[in-house]
Amino acid sequence: MSTRTEGLKGAMDKQEIVLNAICLLFAAAFLFLSLSNLRWAGNFLSIDSLFMTIVFGLLALIFLINPVYWAWKRGLFESAFGAGTEADYPAEEVHFAGSTKLFFAVLTGLLALTIVEVILAYIQMSLKPMLAILIGLSLIKAAMILGYFMHLKYERMSLVFTLIPALVICICLMFILFPDSNRNRNLRTESLRAIKVEAEK
Amino acid sequence: MATAEVHTDHLAQAHTDHLVSDEWSGGALPYHVGHKKLGMWLFIVSDALTFTALLIAYSYARYTSDQWATPFAFSPSILFSTTMTLCLLSSSFTMVMAVKASAHRNKRSARRWIGATMFGGLLFLALHLYEWNHLIGEGLRPFSLPAAWIERWPQASPLFGATFFAITGLHMFHVVTGVAYLGVISARIRKRTHEDVEISGLYWHFVDLVWMFVFPLIYIMSFDPNPSLMK
Repeated sequence: MSTRTEGLKGAMDKQEIVLNAICLLFAAAFLFLSLSNLRWAGNFLSIDSLFMTIVFGLLALIFLINPVYWAWKRGLFESAFGAGTEADYPAEEVHFAGSTKLFFAVLTGLLALTIVEVILAYIQMSLKPMLAILIGLSLIKAAMILGYFMHLKYERMSLVFTLIPALVICICLMFILFPDSNRNRNLRTESLRAIKVEAEK
Repeated sequence: MATAEVHTDHLAQAHTDHLVSDEWSGGALPYHVGHKKLGMWLFIVSDALTFTALLIAYSYARYTSDQWATPFAFSPSILFSTTMTLCLLSSSFTMVMAVKASAHRNKRSARRWIGATMFGGLLFLALHLYEWNHLIGEGLRPFSLPAAWIERWPQASPLFGATFFAITGLHMFHVVTGVAYLGVISARIRKRTHEDVEISGLYWHFVDLVWMFVFPLIYIMSFDPNPSLMK
């Protein structure tokens, strides 16, 4: 029995090493694509170029998750850095984490951020920084709700890794439409200008 | 190796003393989350994408238009929507308290907290319907703007009503569903497990989370600093 188990274990170890090697290879390839986009893109600060960099970077991170998680499970980080004590990892028996005080603090934070958003409306600001700040605040609020109210902070990391990256990638892919809205708008102003020029003739 | 053993989950170890990857080959819960709860999480992800698609469509329409109406004065629209945000956030807090009470096997207290959550949801709905009624009274329709708005923003896209009613309407539908869901859970709380309460909480927090994006993008971005200009 024991030799059979050990043999299986050895095979599993081998599988894991092959899987991690493939994942690392993909991660390196995507990281290379992401970085080489810096050179390929004529103007780095354009929507297209930033989009490519972010999507490739995220893909690289997704492929990195498995090897890093594997290393973490094996305790490779602890042995390398000597960090982490038993107290950092709550025992499985704890059914519900978080106190009333903590949740009340989260609620207060969320309400305060909402008030900041309303005050922002009164400050006359150009559209782009305003939008950026609003989205940033909303993301912080969403993270607070996800982490504390929806309890994701206390769930297993494998659940987080399954849900969040896929969602983020899908949302990023939807941004692919925005260059077209810009083109559409320019198209109209250009044709209007052409009509004006013709009228002046 | 000793450090690794300390950090392995106790529950996982009971199942998988001999193989690390055994957890993923069936018969176990690899996420340490029940099937129902995992199902709710997957639903939440797909529903989040539905709302994202709508918000992206709204942003597209707004960005590609020459002009966009920004008609929300402090009173009533911004005041109401801020109060609605407050209602939803507070109801999220009471829902967490319900889940906490349920985790401590205090079903009576859990039922009361769920009742408070439903009250917050109903208050949100009442305020939102009043707000809708106000806008419809002004003459806003899904594909046309009120005459006073067209006078003030001559080139504004008529899609304002379509995006507003579609996004807030779908969200309102989620709140209605959530209140009904919580009602069923609290009515049958003695026969339900703690996990059921927790899952209904997940849904409720998600409805709250969506509003955190709807509120700034729909309301704050359409704030009207000079309402006196409106005839």
